[in-house]
Amino acid sequence: MRKALREPLLHFLVLGLLLFAFFEWRGGGAGAGRIVVTAGQLQHFAAGFARTWQREPTESELKGLVDEYVKEEMAAREAVAEGLDRDDAIIRKRLRQKLEFLAEDAVDQAPPTEADLRAWLTTHPDAFRVEGQVALRQVFVRRERPGASATAEAARLLARLRVAGSGADTARLGDPTTLPPELSLGPVREVGLTYGDAFARAVEAAPLGQWTGPVESAYGLHLILVRERLSPSVPDLAAVRPKVVGEVIAERRKRALTALYDGLLTRYRVTIEHPAAPAASGGAGR
Amino acid sequence: MARGSSLRVVIGTLLLAAVGLPALAQDAGHDGQISEKAYPKKAYSPYAGRSYPTRPLFGDTHLHTAVSFDAGAFGARLLPRDAYRLARGEEISSNSGQPVKLSRPLDWLVVADHSDNMGFFPDLMAGKPELLADPTGRRWYEEIKNGQGAKAAMEIIVSFSKGTFPKDLMYFPGTRAYRSAWKDTIAAAEQYNEPGRFTAFIGYEWTSNTGGNNLHRNVVFRDNGDKASQVEPFTVYPPFGSDNPVELWKWMDAYEKKTGGSVLAITHNGNLSNGRMFPVVEAFGKPIDRPYAETRARWERLAEATQTKGTGEAHPYLSPNDEFADFEIWDKGNLDCSVPKKKEMLEFEYARAAYKNGLKLEQKLGVNPYKFGLISGSDAHTGLPAMEEENFFGKTAPQEPSPERTQATFFADPKTGLKVMDWEVGASGYGAVWATENTREAIWDAMQRKETYSTTGPRMAVRFFGGWDFEPRDAQNRMPAAIGYVKGVPMGGDLKKAPAGKAPTFLVAALKDPIGANLDRVQVIKGWLDAKGEVQEQVYDVAWSGDRKADSKSGKVPSVGSTVSVEEATWTNTIGAPELITVWKDPAFDPALRAFYYARVIEIPTPRWTAYDAKRFGVKPLPGTRMTVTERAYTSPIWYTP
Repeated sequence: MRKALREPLLHFLVLGLLLFAFFEWRGGGAGAGRIVVTAGQLQHFAAGFARTWQREPTESELKGLVDEYVKEEMAAREAVAEGLDRDDAIIRKRLRQKLEFLAEDAVDQAPPTEADLRAWLTTHPDAFRVEGQVALRQVFVRRERPGASATAEAARLLARLRVAGSGADTARLGDPTTLPPELSLGPVREVGLTYGDAFARAVEAAPLGQWTGPVESAYGLHLILVRERLSPSVPDLAAVRPKVVGEVIAERRKRALTALYDGLLTRYRVTIEHPAAPAASGGAGR
Repeated sequence: MARGSSLRVVIGTLLLAAVGLPALAQDAGHDGQISEKAYPKKAYSPYAGRSYPTRPLFGDTHLHTAVSFDAGAFGARLLPRDAYRLARGEEISSNSGQPVKLSRPLDWLVVADHSDNMGFFPDLMAGKPELLADPTGRRWYEEIKNGQGAKAAMEIIVSFSKGTFPKDLMYFPGTRAYRSAWKDTIAAAEQYNEPGRFTAFIGYEWTSNTGGNNLHRNVVFRDNGDKASQVEPFTVYPPFGSDNPVELWKWMDAYEKKTGGSVLAITHNGNLSNGRMFPVVEAFGKPIDRPYAETRARWERLAEATQTKGTGEAHPYLSPNDEFADFEIWDKGNLDCSVPKKKEMLEFEYARAAYKNGLKLEQKLGVNPYKFGLISGSDAHTGLPAMEEENFFGKTAPQEPSPERTQATFFADPKTGLKVMDWEVGASGYGAVWATENTREAIWDAMQRKETYSTTGPRMAVRFFGGWDFEPRDAQNRMPAAIGYVKGVPMGGDLKKAPAGKAPTFLVAALKDPIGANLDRVQVIKGWLDAKGEVQEQVYDVAWSGDRKADSKSGKVPSVGSTVSVEEATWTNTIGAPELITVWKDPAFDPALRAFYYARVIEIPTPRWTAYDAKRFGVKPLPGTRMTVTERAYTSPIWYTP
């Protein structure tokens, strides 16, 4: 017996069995040629189906899911074995994307602190500034009109409006237009979206509570009255917290990507083999 | 109360009354009562209680980012967050590293990436029982089973990067790059959604493309992430998905029943469906019957009238009398050029023809499946909704500005010999919505009721109301929208059972884009089902710039001309008008016949993006390249039912 135990063939057999067991344990039975669809996987397919269709799959549907999975698993293994995953631009782009996702996601593990947020808000006030608001009235004069010229008509109307004051009845003054005669208190930016930026700037500069103009827009001339104005202001952190968090995280994600590639570059030596330089056409560099 | 302050209150009230009420009440006679209905005087403030939309909100229904498999494959690297930043008005760096900024922010955006590669990543841990032997592995497995997979995945990633990954599990493949693109899409939308300022919709594109025939739909959620994240988007590969729109509608119904939320679908590129987008006889082997029509009408509220892959309102073959029908047409074949187009397919691809056939089907089935409104998006696969002619960043990453992009081929099929060139891609379009406020709910509701219109890029403000009692002087009213909502229905609405002796009247108004080109004309396009059961159409010029006269025989208004210099890529606003408004009455109305009406607004000619490229890069365009464009807007129809 002891002689048998020292038999090299037995040792080899035992070693082989151990190796086989080791790989079985490691590979979970997924060595070449064996595909195991576990109970957990079946549950997983059914759960995915239910989240899409809002009901459990029928037996034949579940079989379909399993069939698709098996085909995919076999194909993937065969494809990788044949090296089809190499030199494929799409696969490479996807791999790069996944690696970058990982680097970015690591950022989410350490949420910004109060101090981080306050510091960001202090150093980047413009991104969070609450925009200036304005409420205004306008009376419109077309550029091409019968009768008096636009500038003459605008001057005449302005004089009349100034006499009537900020409460002037404008229902029948000026030329008809679909542009609103009133804009209730809202961002100056929206004035720009409706009338154009030059008009919005003139509105910002106009005095409060008195008819002024004419101000030009893409549509014609306008006499305007700024009824109310709120200056832009930088809000408290409490009011814009989610936005600030978003900005801080976005900046960190960008830096994580830079760090990723900087780190990788220290581990790779890059050699670029330029072709023998032709006459000074800048072909070597980009 | 002290006498001084009560005096102030009285004066204040009088002032407010003086300011507010005259504008409401004194506009020439009976208009006062009409305007008062839109401005109920019960509120102290005359401006409170205003319940109708006052400014169109512009956006893109259809943007792809690098989350879409094909966009990434083309070379896109921008993700939803980048897209939102550009849309909100920031300057960002494009996929090719060029700085880019929109002329003005958009008001809303739907990032509609393809659902097929968005699904949950395979839960590979489920198949590995040996993991359960390790306590950490067991905990992760339980977390994943209990819907906390993301948490587990994050821990896995972190432990890996910190080197604390349990050694026993070290060689386990696939655990590290778990990431649900759908969840990330939702998170990005939630982050950038700012009610009142900018709306980021949650959505995706269902990309049915069997045989290369485009049947794509965009699904837009009214809801926030709490509802949307309860489901997985519908894909096209069985058994999780299907390429049949009927199955998509089932998915939409199941979503609403499960979550109490709301979704709608927007079709696009009928022009690349090779006759399958708007069927009248059968689809996927089943007849077009009443249930089909009801279901389709319920879910498919809108269609994209124009986008980078061509315009789908009208086709010159179907509308030979419409001199504006030949506009940015893609009619060579299906989406991948694998099957050429046949003329008999066209009728089932374009919106106007679908509207006409819809009347026929309504007569036959009792329900009109094709009562969709019109809207637009870009279908850009760059993360950049940059669709202005002078600021066009292409449909795919290789089509970002470069000297090559006016010369290159987009795709070609050597078997069929069909080819589409990069220059044929259009810098189009944006959608406009008359929503009461800039929120997901208000904009979605406007889409649902079809109070929307499509533009090829410029931000014209277009109103279209239909009613029985509009009069020419309504066009002189200082607040035509108030009149419109009170006396009629807005675009997307319905008129029924004409009162005796009356014909439909329409109040149409268009304001040019404040930084854009003047307007040439406004048209109303009518389609109807005649007494013989045949479909008919007629295009009417209803308002135009200058003193051109309509031809006495054809009724057509002559061309407005052109101020475009192609070499310089410029134009001047010395022709056209900044604003057009009119009231138009149908001169040929028969109250017994079903009909639809929609407005089309056309600008004066302007340089196309190809002209800007030629000028800026100094390249000579290929022969046949279109260099000018007449931008336009298309409103949702108003339908008449006897």
